[in-house]
Amino acid sequence: MTPQLVEITSFGRGGIHPPTHKELTARSPIEDLPWPGEVWLPLVQHLGEPAVPIVKKGDTVARGQMIAEGGATGVPIHASVPGKIKFIDKRPHPTLVTCPTLVIRHTDETDELAFEEDPAWRALDAAETLARIQQAGIVGLGGAAFPTHRKLMLPKGVTVDTFVLNGAECEPYLTADHRLMMLRPREILEGALIMARLVGARRLLIGIEADKSDVIAGFRDAAADTPLDGISFDVRVCEVRYPQGAERQLITALTGRVVPPRSLPSAVGVIVQNVATAQAVHDAVRFRRPLIDRIMTVTGPGIVTPRNVRAPLGALLQDIVAFCGGAREETTRLIAGGPMMGRALPRLDLPLIKGMNGLVLLTGRGPFEEGYGPCIQCGRCLDACPLGLEPNQVSIFVEAGRTLETDPFGTLDCYECGSCTYVCPSERPLLQFMQVAKSALRRASDLRIVK
Amino acid sequence: MSAAETPTAAAPHPYVISPGPHVRVEESTAQIMWWVNGALAPAAIWGVIVFGPNALAVVLAAIAGALAAEWAVARALERRVTLHDGSAVCTGLLLAMTLPPAVPWWTAALGSIFAIVFGKAIFGGLGYNLFNPALIGRAFMLATFPVAMTAGWIAPQPWFAVPVDAITTATPLAVLREQGLPQALQLAASPGGPYAGLALGLRPGSIGEVSVLLIALGAGALLARRIITLTIPLSIFSGVALTTAFSGALTLHLLSGGLWLGAFFMATDYVTSPVTRNGKIVFGLIIGALTGIIRLYGGYPEGICYAILLANTLVPALNTWFRPRRTMLAGTPS
Repeated sequence: MTPQLVEITSFGRGGIHPPTHKELTARSPIEDLPWPGEVWLPLVQHLGEPAVPIVKKGDTVARGQMIAEGGATGVPIHASVPGKIKFIDKRPHPTLVTCPTLVIRHTDETDELAFEEDPAWRALDAAETLARIQQAGIVGLGGAAFPTHRKLMLPKGVTVDTFVLNGAECEPYLTADHRLMMLRPREILEGALIMARLVGARRLLIGIEADKSDVIAGFRDAAADTPLDGISFDVRVCEVRYPQGAERQLITALTGRVVPPRSLPSAVGVIVQNVATAQAVHDAVRFRRPLIDRIMTVTGPGIVTPRNVRAPLGALLQDIVAFCGGAREETTRLIAGGPMMGRALPRLDLPLIKGMNGLVLLTGRGPFEEGYGPCIQCGRCLDACPLGLEPNQVSIFVEAGRTLETDPFGTLDCYECGSCTYVCPSERPLLQFMQVAKSALRRASDLRIVK
Repeated sequence: MSAAETPTAAAPHPYVISPGPHVRVEESTAQIMWWVNGALAPAAIWGVIVFGPNALAVVLAAIAGALAAEWAVARALERRVTLHDGSAVCTGLLLAMTLPPAVPWWTAALGSIFAIVFGKAIFGGLGYNLFNPALIGRAFMLATFPVAMTAGWIAPQPWFAVPVDAITTATPLAVLREQGLPQALQLAASPGGPYAGLALGLRPGSIGEVSVLLIALGAGALLARRIITLTIPLSIFSGVALTTAFSGALTLHLLSGGLWLGAFFMATDYVTSPVTRNGKIVFGLIIGALTGIIRLYGGYPEGICYAILLANTLVPALNTWFRPRRTMLAGTPS
């Protein structure tokens, strides 16, 4: 092996270096979950209006068949296993508590719809491409679950020159994007090119953290024999540093541009999409294949066999955990997504939804279980904040009941990466203070109390 | 279907719902405080060795007084008793280290009780105090027991040496003030020369401040663990150097008195120092300059205690004047 000198870029101020624990699954290939007995497909798995069911109880459905239509702002839902619609009813939901859900019992009566390549896929016009992305039910797979077609429709007057593909995967523990980039660099590149052409970007950059530099060769090979249509392409290696994969930080690391607070990346001519989303877009445009499964990392000290799993959407977390050897007795917390920005789930009888890129089973005491101490003004949260906000001040003002006076500390700019809370030696829930202050300020500005 | 035979889906393990982030650094406030106490220990132990049994009694009395006051305040105000977090021990230990070795032990206990009650508790407890509690305790003692606090200096008389009666003397800075540099340096005379004597601590002075070397060792540990940074200490040294550069005794000023103890262990106290780097620089320069000015022109031979207390009053203002730089520049095409 010849040592290679790679230039490593990073964002400006702040950030933290939590232990990544990626060694648990960094070399685990993506394994398919066996057909689950049933899947629960909530009508809300995206930001936008709920999908509207177009099937009824007892219908037989094929894998890939549309079973609920997307509204004006949402995306449709597709059957992720072949089977029969068992019922449509309210079921537990990972983020919404409960949600109307289509339950499919798996049967072998039907199979998967055939998804054949459209020979003209490279020459489609923008409207058709967007329609295919929307019809495939694609949302941002990095966790936000914002409908991808909406992100690709630029407002009038906004131009984009750079398309950034987010392969940073800066959350500790998660390796799903890493393994996908190892397995499918071509599809990811093609999907990114489709989206770059759509928004008129002339430059395509892939940002990865340095612990994933083994994917570079695959992307370079793919780029060598893929028609790039004059779009320049490069893989950029970023420092392993949280939150490198946050849109703003990645844009700064890759382009040197700073997205102004409360603006979208397109304000500086950039669009960012996750690598898994790019692969889904490729499948949707080239094969008209909808989003019916996703790759996730099932990991943490609480799981018997940490794995990267490809599972049909709607598969129950208990089936996925069982496939990974089950949960250890000492598991105390179940985190959907990464441990920094992910969400604690109360139970395993919840469905896998589109935005869930990992399931981290943690052991031991969780944050704040023993209360928290006073702010000792150590300033560590100020050093950790990538935006230069003042979580210490916000927390003290909120504690004193002076929530509406926190605006000068940048409360409204916070995108809740949690770095401040990670470093706080007094275990203060700084992020939650920030959320309290943020919602109060928004409510107040709605009421025009604060201009 | 019997009640016991519920579907697997209905009987999941009850997991804890807690807000994110779900991982955090290991280092807690209590650990930081105990690291500070541990870093102070070498210099404190050396002070006890150099100055004899009364110094030990002073150190123990100050710590006991601080712990007792902390406990009593927590009980009286029905707050959580947090003796284990090390902050009261830290206040007591720091106060003792600033005291002349010959002060009566009970005055040290009174000083640390005052430090905890009026330096910390009345402001709202840990995190809310404006002034460094240990220095509040020292200022209280200087006002209350002026003779003991200004005449309590003794020549080093290590336990391992032949026991003699305590020789009352003056500190190098006091001698510098009254008699001049050569006489001051004589006080720190040692086989390696006067400056080696200052580094080792074989000179009259407060219990914990005499050995610059051991204070530096403790400070090095805190720097290595990134509990403190060099910003404040270096700014203080710069301020002292700037104000005393033309006094002819620059090195003595930099190596003597409580400067090192104050710069590394008191001015760096999180609660009573600014949070941003620029704030820290200004804070340190002010302390350094005030220390130099008090020593050269003020009423006391030593100035670091009041310099830090005065600068403490500026911390809220410094935190407002020197805010973190926000990441908000408009984007520019690269």
